Amino acid sequence: MAERVDVCIVGSGFGGSISAYRLAELYRAAGQTPSIMVLERGRRHQHTDFRQSMDLGHLSRIYGLVQGQGAQIVVGDGVGGGSNFYLAASLRAPSETFERRDHRPDDGSDRRMWPSQLSRATLNPYYSRVEAALRVQKPTWKQVAKAGGLWAKTLDAAGHTCDRVPLAIDLGRCIQARWCHTGCIYGAKNSVITNYLAAAEAYGVQVRPNSQAELIAQSSARPYRYLLTVSEIDNDGESPTRQPTGREFQIECKVLILSAGAMGNPPLLMRSRPALPSLSSQTGKNLGINGDHIAAVDYDEQKVKDVLGLPGYGQIYKGNHISTMSYDWWVDKPGNAGDGKRFTLQEIYLSPLAHTLYDDGRSSQAMPSFWGLQKKAALSTFNNHIEVLAMVEDTHDGEFLAPPPSGSHVRPNAGPLGVGPFKYELSEQSVRVREAADAAIREVVERSGLARFMKLTFRNAFASHPLGGCRMAESKDLGVVDHRGEVFDNEGLFCIDSSAIPTSLGVNPSLTISAVSERSVAQLIDRAADYGLPAKPANFAPAVPGQSLGPHTTPVRSSSDAAIDAKVRSYG
Amino acid sequence: MASHDPSIPSQVPQEIAGLLSRRDVLRRASILSLGGLVLSALPVADRILATVDPAEAAVDLADGTLQAVADTLIPGRRTTVTDLGHEIHPKAIAGVHPEPGAVEADALAVFHDPLIGFDALEPAFLAEVQARSLQRGGQFIDLPFQRRVAVCLDGLDPGNPSVIVWEAAVAVAFAAFIAAASQINATIDTASGYQVMGYPGTAPNGYADYSYRQKLSRELTATGSLP
Repeated sequence: MAERVDVCIVGSGFGGSISAYRLAELYRAAGQTPSIMVLERGRRHQHTDFRQSMDLGHLSRIYGLVQGQGAQIVVGDGVGGGSNFYLAASLRAPSETFERRDHRPDDGSDRRMWPSQLSRATLNPYYSRVEAALRVQKPTWKQVAKAGGLWAKTLDAAGHTCDRVPLAIDLGRCIQARWCHTGCIYGAKNSVITNYLAAAEAYGVQVRPNSQAELIAQSSARPYRYLLTVSEIDNDGESPTRQPTGREFQIECKVLILSAGAMGNPPLLMRSRPALPSLSSQTGKNLGINGDHIAAVDYDEQKVKDVLGLPGYGQIYKGNHISTMSYDWWVDKPGNAGDGKRFTLQEIYLSPLAHTLYDDGRSSQAMPSFWGLQKKAALSTFNNHIEVLAMVEDTHDGEFLAPPPSGSHVRPNAGPLGVGPFKYELSEQSVRVREAADAAIREVVERSGLARFMKLTFRNAFASHPLGGCRMAESKDLGVVDHRGEVFDNEGLFCIDSSAIPTSLGVNPSLTISAVSERSVAQLIDRAADYGLPAKPANFAPAVPGQSLGPHTTPVRSSSDAAIDAKVRSYG
Repeated sequence: MASHDPSIPSQVPQEIAGLLSRRDVLRRASILSLGGLVLSALPVADRILATVDPAEAAVDLADGTLQAVADTLIPGRRTTVTDLGHEIHPKAIAGVHPEPGAVEADALAVFHDPLIGFDALEPAFLAEVQARSLQRGGQFIDLPFQRRVAVCLDGLDPGNPSVIVWEAAVAVAFAAFIAAASQINATIDTASGYQVMGYPGTAPNGYADYSYRQKLSRELTATGSLP
């Protein structure tokens, strides 16, 4: 016998948590207890579960690293989804993003890539809503990390501008350890488990971890529309398998919101296609990576002093992961003629592990450049590096293949590595705009012998910002969901998350995914009664979700870095 | 942390034979598009491995070869034990770099960690390594550094049908060295890779002197976002 709820939400990242909280507000405003369940395939985390460590045990608990054909994509695993591990850059996408028309030649006639209802202007109120909920702050120059400051000064010396990046981080609480990437142990980073989702649970939303949605069927028991089959996942205990336990349950709901992300929703919908025959033929297509393209820069510390007038560097390990970026290669390409040629350049610290990926092309053909003695030499200057993330306007070049029998990818063991049923091959345009970004970085950093450009190696795309696969569009022949996130011809079935985003954004995507999610759920609330949910009261007004840090580690800021810095220099 | 037990006596031929059930390899080969190369190399590898004297080393030849591959990918100084205290095959490290390399940073432990799953690829990988080494004059572990480099260049050539397995080996070596993947809360005092990089590792007290504390460029926007 299926459990019945009004609303079932698959996934607890940004999209799922925002949907849960806003719908919970609706129930409260209508004087009802929320009949809302959030399913999450991963386990529940507290801040105190996180570690400043990249040991395999910890990574296995929090991440999936999914290898497809041509790309490796990082996904969050656990209650809070990707928000536990994001680097918290919180930027509004530029207007040009929403006006782009440079879709692929095989992708319909000349048209705007976003539905007509979405633009920067229509999203602005929702951006404001998200910025309030995620407590976004713009750092002062005194709070900009040295790596970001060095990037800013490098650009300045080359005649460019560079802006500070707003962050969803409590900068009073943050102690600048540069360990956002394995989960903030202090609760200083504003993940959804500290705001939207915590507030939703306080309102009575049920969150069920270790629960993986497997199959969607239609329900004939109106007003219930969908019947979802869910597997229990073995995530807890001493040595979890992280595989289905064999126990399954069913949820029957009036509204089904898929928020499993761009790597989760498409396989789920594709597997369910026999029961959802009216799905768009675009389902699982147009997978993108937000135009992510990384590189590194190896500074000559003496030149940092002589050319830039800074008091040295050698401290990649300090401060917020992202703090500065330049829009100069974006704003010099106005109008649709600039479509597909723009990019932004942002200083970013991914993790030490990302330094596996840099320094191609320095060697003669007979010698390796990304391993061996040369690579070792490049690693030995690690603390004089910065990493640069170019976010380019590319085409969404990926596509899902046949879905696996269970889940979104095959996890052969309890570790973080998985094999994903997708392929990703860069289009000519996607390659060209990346080459332009490389050339721009190289030109800026190699002036006066200041630094050495370190190109990305390997054949694969590496990405942590998967977008699309269920993109929103004007019509069913072009996309999977409409401008409200509702799946075409499947009433009450929604994709509210990264999977609905149709283009790369030019900025880190979390704020835009969240703003589009806020808009989608606001549209759903406007028509709630049509779906059998409580009618929206006339005085309904969305509020800022309260903040709840839960049990947490109290940060103790270092009184002096001198001992650590000296040790680093003595070894390095 | 799963670790390899160096006290297990070497049983290379039996071990390889056990791991290399033909059906198993065929299944893996088809999954990984290994093609015919690895399969054709298997008899060669079996023959090579069968000639090894088990008494030669506490670390068996299969593990010694994995260590030698790791040492080619991130070369290091000669030493006898890893960060975690595990033994190193006496021939594994070529000794071409004065600082610690991937072997000292416990690459072998990461190769064998069940959370990585490289054990499933190991038989096919080692067979290919040995087949390619034979063309260069002997077993991989007996080759001088430059010939080891040549073998790895062949394996990592994008045209090699099994390049993905070689890239997995690269990823293992780098995960051990750069990320100290076999240590919980590693620091520069415990992880030799971090020492080479000059990376402090876990930083529970964060940093106070993290900013240049001055405006360093002109800005294009008032909010940080473009309109």
